Amino acid sequence: MKARRLLLALLVVMVSVAIQTTLFARIRPFDAAPALVLLVVIAFARHVPAEYALGIGFFAGFLADLLADSALGLWALVMTTTAYFVVHFRDRLEDDFSLLGPFVFGVTAGALTLFSVLGTIFGQKTLADAGIVKKILLPSLYNMLLAALILPLVTWMLGIARRRTAAFKL
Amino acid sequence: MWRPSNLDRPTGIFIALILLSLTMVTLDLRASGDGLGTTLREGTQAVFAPVQRAVASATRPVADFFENISDMFSLRQENLQLRERVTELERELQETESVNVRLAELEALLGVEPPGDLDSITAQVVAVGVSEFDHLRVIDKGSDDGVGVDMPVVDESGLIGRVIAVTGSVARIRLITDPTMNIVVRVQRTGETGVLRGRGSGPMDLRMFSTNTAVVAGDLLVTADGRFPAGIPVATVNEQARDEVGFALTTTALPLAGVTSIDFVKVLVFTRDQAGVDDLDDLDRLPTGVPADPGDPTEGESDDPPATTTTTTTTTTPATTVP
Repeated sequence: MKARRLLLALLVVMVSVAIQTTLFARIRPFDAAPALVLLVVIAFARHVPAEYALGIGFFAGFLADLLADSALGLWALVMTTTAYFVVHFRDRLEDDFSLLGPFVFGVTAGALTLFSVLGTIFGQKTLADAGIVKKILLPSLYNMLLAALILPLVTWMLGIARRRTAAFKL
Repeated sequence: MWRPSNLDRPTGIFIALILLSLTMVTLDLRASGDGLGTTLREGTQAVFAPVQRAVASATRPVADFFENISDMFSLRQENLQLRERVTELERELQETESVNVRLAELEALLGVEPPGDLDSITAQVVAVGVSEFDHLRVIDKGSDDGVGVDMPVVDESGLIGRVIAVTGSVARIRLITDPTMNIVVRVQRTGETGVLRGRGSGPMDLRMFSTNTAVVAGDLLVTADGRFPAGIPVATVNEQARDEVGFALTTTALPLAGVTSIDFVKVLVFTRDQAGVDDLDDLDRLPTGVPADPGDPTEGESDDPPATTTTTTTTTTPATTVP
C-alpha cells in the first residue's frame, strides 16, 4: 500500500512536470503560467507524512532541475523547503479552509522569490529579469485559482475523502 | 542546551536534503556545464521527451481551445496590421531588388564574395522550461538530425537563440531574452556595432561601442560576425540611445522573433569554425551544457560540421552590411 501511494505521488509529479512544460507553454494568460509542479508538491505535503512530503518535494525539484536551465539542486532546495513549510502549517489550515487559497498564493510567491534570490546568488541573474514581479505574482495567482481543482484532486487520489484528523498513514 | 538529538526526524531529513541540494548546486557550478550534471540532464531530457510529446499531443485540443478564444480577440486587429505590413513589404521588396542588382555589380567590381549559403534544419518546439525563469525551448531535432551545440536558431522574423545542449532526438535552445545572453549586433543603417543583452522579458538592453553615431527608434539590429552568422535580424531599437557619461550609448530594443509564442523554428547549420571568433556569450554562466572554455569541445561540437539529414533545407542568410 505504501509503495503504491508513493508511486502514485511520483507519477503525478512527473505528469505535472510534463504538463508544465507542454500545455502551459501554450496556455499563458498575460504571458505567464501557473507553477503546477509547486502546486502538486503543496497538495501532497498537506496529506502525506512529513518524511514522504520532503521526499516528494525533493524528487519534484530534482526532476525540474534536470529539465531546467538552472543549477542542478536549486529547484530541489526550493521545493524541499516548500514541502517542509507546508508540513509545518498544514494542521492550522485544517481548522479554516478559507485560508487555503491565500496560503497557496503565499507559499508559491515565497518559493518563487526564494528561487529568484538563490538563482541570483548562484549566478543565474534571475533578479535581473525585467518582469520579475510579474513572474512571481501571476503564477502565484494562477496557483491560487488552480488550487480549487488540484488540491481536491490530490486528496481524492490519495483516498482521503474526509477531513484529516491525524497524520495520514501510508 | 541544544543537541542534534533534539531535532525531530522530519527536520533532520529536511536539513540533510537541503545540504544535499547545496552540494549538488556547488558541484554543478564547479563542473562548469560538464560532468555528471550534464550527463544526467541529457539523459533525463532524452527519456522525458517522449512523455512530453505524448502529453503535448493529448492536451493539444485543450490548448487549441484556449488559444482559439484568445485569438478571437486579437485576430481582427492582427489582420489589419498584416495588411498594412504586406503593402509596406511589397514596396520594400521592389526597392531591395534594385539594391541587390547594384550590390552584385559592386561585389563583382570589388571581388567581394557574397555570404555563403547555410543549410538549415526545420524543427518544432515540443516543450519549454519548467518555470517562468527558464528562457529555453526544447525542439524535436537532435544530433541524429545534424543539430549541434551553439548553432543559431531563427524563425521567420529573426534570431531566437542558440542550441545549448543536444541529445540524439531533441535539443535545447536558450532564448536571446535570457539575462545571460550577450549578442554582438550591428545597426544596419549605420554599421556601428554594440552588444544586445537579454532582460528575461520585454525589451533587451543595447549598449553601443561608439558614442559618436546616433541610434534612433526603429533602427534594425542584425548579428555581427562572431558566434552567429552575420546579418540575421535580431531586434529593432525601441527608443533613441542615450549617452551614458560619455562612455557608451545605451537604449533598449525589442526582439523581432516572437520568443513567447514560437512553434516552428530553423536551426542554422553554422559551427564555431565558421564563426572564426570566440564568443562573448555566457562565460559567466556555468551550469549549462556548454563548456565555459570556448575552445573545449563537447558533445555536438566537433571540428567537422555535423552531417545534415534529408530534412535539411537550404537557405541563405540575410546579406551582411559591410561598413
